Amino acid sequence: MPTKVERWKDEAYGTEIRDHLERFASEGFQSIPEDERDAWFERFKWWGLYHQRKGQESYFMLRIGTPMGRMTPEQLRTVGEVAREYATGPVDNPEFGEAYADFTTRQSIQLHWIDIEDVPDIFEELESVGLSTMQACGDSWRNIVGSPVAGRDADEHVDVWPIVRDLHDRFKGNDLYTNLPRKWKVAVTGDYRGAGQGDINDLAFEPAVKELDGESVEGFNVRVGGGLARKEPRFARDIDVFCRPENVPAVAAGLSGLFRDYGDREDRFNARMKFLVDEWGPEKVRSVLQAKYVDDELLTAGEDLREGYDYNAGRADAPGDYVGVYEQRDGQHFVGLSVLVGRMAAEDVIELADLADAYDSSMIGLTQRQNVIVGDIADEDLSEFLEEPLLEEYSPDPHPFMRGSIACTGTEYCSLSIVETKNRMVRYARWLRDNVPVPEGVEDFHIHLSGCTASCAQPQIADISLRGMKTRKDGDAVEAFDVGLGGGLGENPRFADWIEMRVPADEVPGYIANLLGTYEAEREDSESFRSFVADRDEDELADLAEPEATSYEDPYLANTKMTWYPYAEDDSMSASPAPTGPNDEPLPTDD
Amino acid sequence: MADRILKANAFTTFDLLEGSVEGHGFAEDAPAVLNVRTARRDPDEVTLELELDNVDLESVPAHADRVTLSSSEARTLATELRAAADRVDAASDTVEGETADGADPGGGEP
Repeated sequence: MPTKVERWKDEAYGTEIRDHLERFASEGFQSIPEDERDAWFERFKWWGLYHQRKGQESYFMLRIGTPMGRMTPEQLRTVGEVAREYATGPVDNPEFGEAYADFTTRQSIQLHWIDIEDVPDIFEELESVGLSTMQACGDSWRNIVGSPVAGRDADEHVDVWPIVRDLHDRFKGNDLYTNLPRKWKVAVTGDYRGAGQGDINDLAFEPAVKELDGESVEGFNVRVGGGLARKEPRFARDIDVFCRPENVPAVAAGLSGLFRDYGDREDRFNARMKFLVDEWGPEKVRSVLQAKYVDDELLTAGEDLREGYDYNAGRADAPGDYVGVYEQRDGQHFVGLSVLVGRMAAEDVIELADLADAYDSSMIGLTQRQNVIVGDIADEDLSEFLEEPLLEEYSPDPHPFMRGSIACTGTEYCSLSIVETKNRMVRYARWLRDNVPVPEGVEDFHIHLSGCTASCAQPQIADISLRGMKTRKDGDAVEAFDVGLGGGLGENPRFADWIEMRVPADEVPGYIANLLGTYEAEREDSESFRSFVADRDEDELADLAEPEATSYEDPYLANTKMTWYPYAEDDSMSASPAPTGPNDEPLPTDD
Repeated sequence: MADRILKANAFTTFDLLEGSVEGHGFAEDAPAVLNVRTARRDPDEVTLELELDNVDLESVPAHADRVTLSSSEARTLATELRAAADRVDAASDTVEGETADGADPGGGEP
């Protein structure tokens, strides 16, 4: 028997939700019948809208999907303008101000405090420059991820941008794939760096070479069933299929059709592709794909290129991100800018778009490490570009502790999280920068901070993994983190080992300082932090460092989950103005 | 160290309780997660699940314990818990509704 969500989806889902959204927008938030809100909020996700958490009723998060994170400066400016005009709430964020945009780990953009009444205007503005929120959330093809510099990267196997554009056009708004059992995440990688992070996606096209009729053909190997959520992380599994670039759409259609038909619609917890692969094994996935979903005979896997993967791989010999200045194929440069925790003030987004325009750039890229790239900077303009004042804040050469951090949304807006995340990670990074010596040779050090055991900040694949928890300190319940070490992707991906439980949030910086001190003292030569961890057993890892209170002070140590908004002057749930109208004033109540 | 077995998010009933494990020849204390859950679809039983932080335990491997209760058994348990809470309140001045650690009672699975 189908789940409640499946019944809601049967009644209305996909493109038709747009009409309902427009109707509710014109009639106001209160026109959504109270007893139907759960159903409508679930359906709105298909159009990129998530209702915010308790205490913030009537406000939505809006997600814009940008394939491979790739945008034009004009599109970026529109995002900034929409954020500035519509993504404002009753209270400012103390670090980021009144309006801001979040760049996500799947190369999308999230805006908060959106009123449903503004949604039609927002859609119109976004669509006027070719942006869309369609299928940014919900049970369908999500935003396709990959390297935003495909086609420009001087060091790549296949330019996947035309392929991804084609997939995006085919599978967005396609009735055959509108209603899948659960989300469907696809990565297409054409570079040598593994920047698509295919291992953590439902479907991954990975660069490969195969000898066919005496010729070496460039294409992709296919992996399926990766993902980090539900406390059941899996790396995608090899189904022994090689795919020529022109066959990618057929194989992608086949596999998403297979998931549509065989995925578990009776238990949403079990609905992801990774669990179907667990149940069937890769061989059966391949045989069913061949028998029922593709006409051409599938080729066996080619030779992969994973040995060169360095993206988020924790290697000592290569950067694990796109921050910095890189040469393009055409002799120009792309410049990767560090955006701490992926959040950028709306005014800065607009300024960056104008800057890109002024330097004749035609490409902006959002990366899976929540950073931003400006492409097409001419050789003769490069030094002037690097001197631009905006690049002091969003640096191509940041301090290592300001460079590698990812954080999820957290208790600020999310209904699952149990701790404050983004602002806390900003405070951690600043404290580490100001107080902890960087081990010699370390240029990027990846800390991923997630607010709960869901895995939105990808906590299992970082040098240091922080996952929200609670503990007791001096008699009080305080926010805390479980700590994991040594995860990462690369040729041989590995999930973090969990080492400490319930470290009080204000003792985490001290723990990291102690840990890095031990690493610096005990490592061999230029051993990377990840291999330093991999070389040690459980007991040795537990003995590496102790949590410690330091000069770091945490103003939000208590239970931010119980506030209506952690940064409000009166943060108690009863002080919430929500639900509100578009002017942030409380809506009239019946009593 | 093994990862947690149980999820811990804003819908978890208690993410911070004091627990203990006792066996023949061992007794240890550890923080614990305690959660009440029902299946999302046509639930026919209540599950009560408990996990002690494995990092604090040497005598038993990382694990979670679960018991399933019928709706009637769950009500019996709730009645007993309420009566026991009343006795504790009567013996002290604890304000009703305040839990020992200040954590809020959640509502099972989202």
